[in-house]
Amino acid sequence: MTALSVAAAPPQPDRRPFLPLVTADLLKLRKRRGLVATVTAMTIGAAVVTYAVLAILHAANPAHHGPAGGVANLMHGVGVLSLLGCVAATIVGASAGADDLNAGVFRELVVTGRSRLALFASRLPGGLAFLLPFVAAGYAIAAVASVGLAGSLASPTTTLLVEGGLWLIGEVALFYVVALGLASLLGSRTQTVGILLAFRLALAPILASIAALGVFREVFPTAALGRLAPAAIADDVRQGTHAPMSLAATVAVLILWTAIPLVVGAWRTAARDA
Amino acid sequence: MNTTTSPYVVETDGLTKRFGDRTAVSDVDLHVPRGVAFGYLGPNGAGKTTLIRMLLGLTHASAGSMKLLGLPVPERRAEALARVGAIVEEPRFHGHLTGSENLRVVAAARGPEAHARIGASLDRVGLTARAGDRVSTYSLGMKQRLGIARCLLADPELLVLDEPMNGLDPAGIEELRVLIRSLVAEGRTVVLSSHLLSEVERTCDAVAIVDQGRVVVQGSLDELRSDGAPTLLVASADDTRARSLLGAHVSVDSVTVADGALSVRLHHGTETVAREAAADINRRLVEAGIPVYRLEPQQVSLEQRFLEITSRLEEAA
Repeated sequence: MTALSVAAAPPQPDRRPFLPLVTADLLKLRKRRGLVATVTAMTIGAAVVTYAVLAILHAANPAHHGPAGGVANLMHGVGVLSLLGCVAATIVGASAGADDLNAGVFRELVVTGRSRLALFASRLPGGLAFLLPFVAAGYAIAAVASVGLAGSLASPTTTLLVEGGLWLIGEVALFYVVALGLASLLGSRTQTVGILLAFRLALAPILASIAALGVFREVFPTAALGRLAPAAIADDVRQGTHAPMSLAATVAVLILWTAIPLVVGAWRTAARDA
Repeated sequence: MNTTTSPYVVETDGLTKRFGDRTAVSDVDLHVPRGVAFGYLGPNGAGKTTLIRMLLGLTHASAGSMKLLGLPVPERRAEALARVGAIVEEPRFHGHLTGSENLRVVAAARGPEAHARIGASLDRVGLTARAGDRVSTYSLGMKQRLGIARCLLADPELLVLDEPMNGLDPAGIEELRVLIRSLVAEGRTVVLSSHLLSEVERTCDAVAIVDQGRVVVQGSLDELRSDGAPTLLVASADDTRARSLLGAHVSVDSVTVADGALSVRLHHGTETVAREAAADINRRLVEAGIPVYRLEPQQVSLEQRFLEITSRLEEAA
């Protein structure tokens, strides 16, 4: 084959498998000891501490403190996991989105000839594969404790347990996606974590509680997520005054909060100087 | 082993990169032949790294076209880079991963064949024993070697090494030189950018000299040396009189004192003209009663040639 004929041939599609890229992204995250410790503490650790404290209080003063389990305490457990799980998702998303850039490894990956979009896309399943097992484990502890330690209280139904778990995983995954996109855009883990924590923990709850903003409050993902939360646990996971939303608006808001960070992150990854 | 039968692994035509008003790479026509160690030589800030970054698709070109391994880039970038290994500036790694894990990360991007080469690549650069250690514990020399191991995962036809000698001790430089020559002996092409003239001269077969974003000259080292002004080393019984006499000679461009003798630079000309000029200089000195102890043509070093070219450019500017 001559040089001329090779150059004239149409470009060959990239047939290299995608899964190893996902595995590599998972490897980069799970080998960060500090990150593993932080995420463990914010998910499994948070669930263990929450129910341990409730159990100790009940054992110390049963007349004043009810059993550690039951629907009410599942609500509290999910509330804790929702808050800390989103912080963990933000940290993991920021790491997945910016660590290659911060370490200078992104250009080493680009010179392999691999599509930049593939390099970005693999961070999504790679990071979720790292994060969600911790969240699921934390929720499993909460679920087992809320049933096992229910005592005289009503135990949560299987439906509620499944709905609560799916809702929690969905919320954490959404915040992971937002952090991934923002970190890929900014190229900085620290800035991403700072911005998103300020938004999640301070700005969004404050804005959501300002009734004068009206329907404007519906653009925040916390409002949409609160709308989708199972009724039995909704009070503990909604922040600020509940902004009533239609289901269509809820779905639209969540789709936009998922799609925009992914599109922006992919665009920046494809366009940036490596 | 070759992707194409193109005689050049790198071809650029009018390649230009501008950052605002500043032109970092200006209208570069570069041709790197296959199967050699090719030095891309220039002072710091000459645009060496920018050109490499364009070739590898790390940044866009402002104008011009380029081919890697006979394939146009960026149009066929993925296919071309599949057989290219590169270290840009310094090799960078995830410090929290081991050497072996860092190679796994890049092998994941390259494909299953690359994964199968991890062991052999580490062995080739002598890092097998430290492959399980975190890269944050590696010395600079070890990181350079790991960077080359990472290049070898591609079984590359072309390796692009940007300032690979930076920060290495003499033993490390010698190791790297031997490694580069062994890669060339296997039929691979190594493009080596550097500002270290002596290292390029000792390692490379051909060079391009770049200055202020432009390729000033390119060719084999022999061509480049022979293209310079011929110089004679003259030792006599009376250097003062000899210098005065030779300074007025029609073939002589300049006379300087070097190592207890006179370095006589002749005007540009063919080898025959230079030989005749040397004979005439000898005759004139003897006729003037100045005994000549030594008269020999000097081998022009790459450094002399480089300085000659760049000083000529400065004068022109």
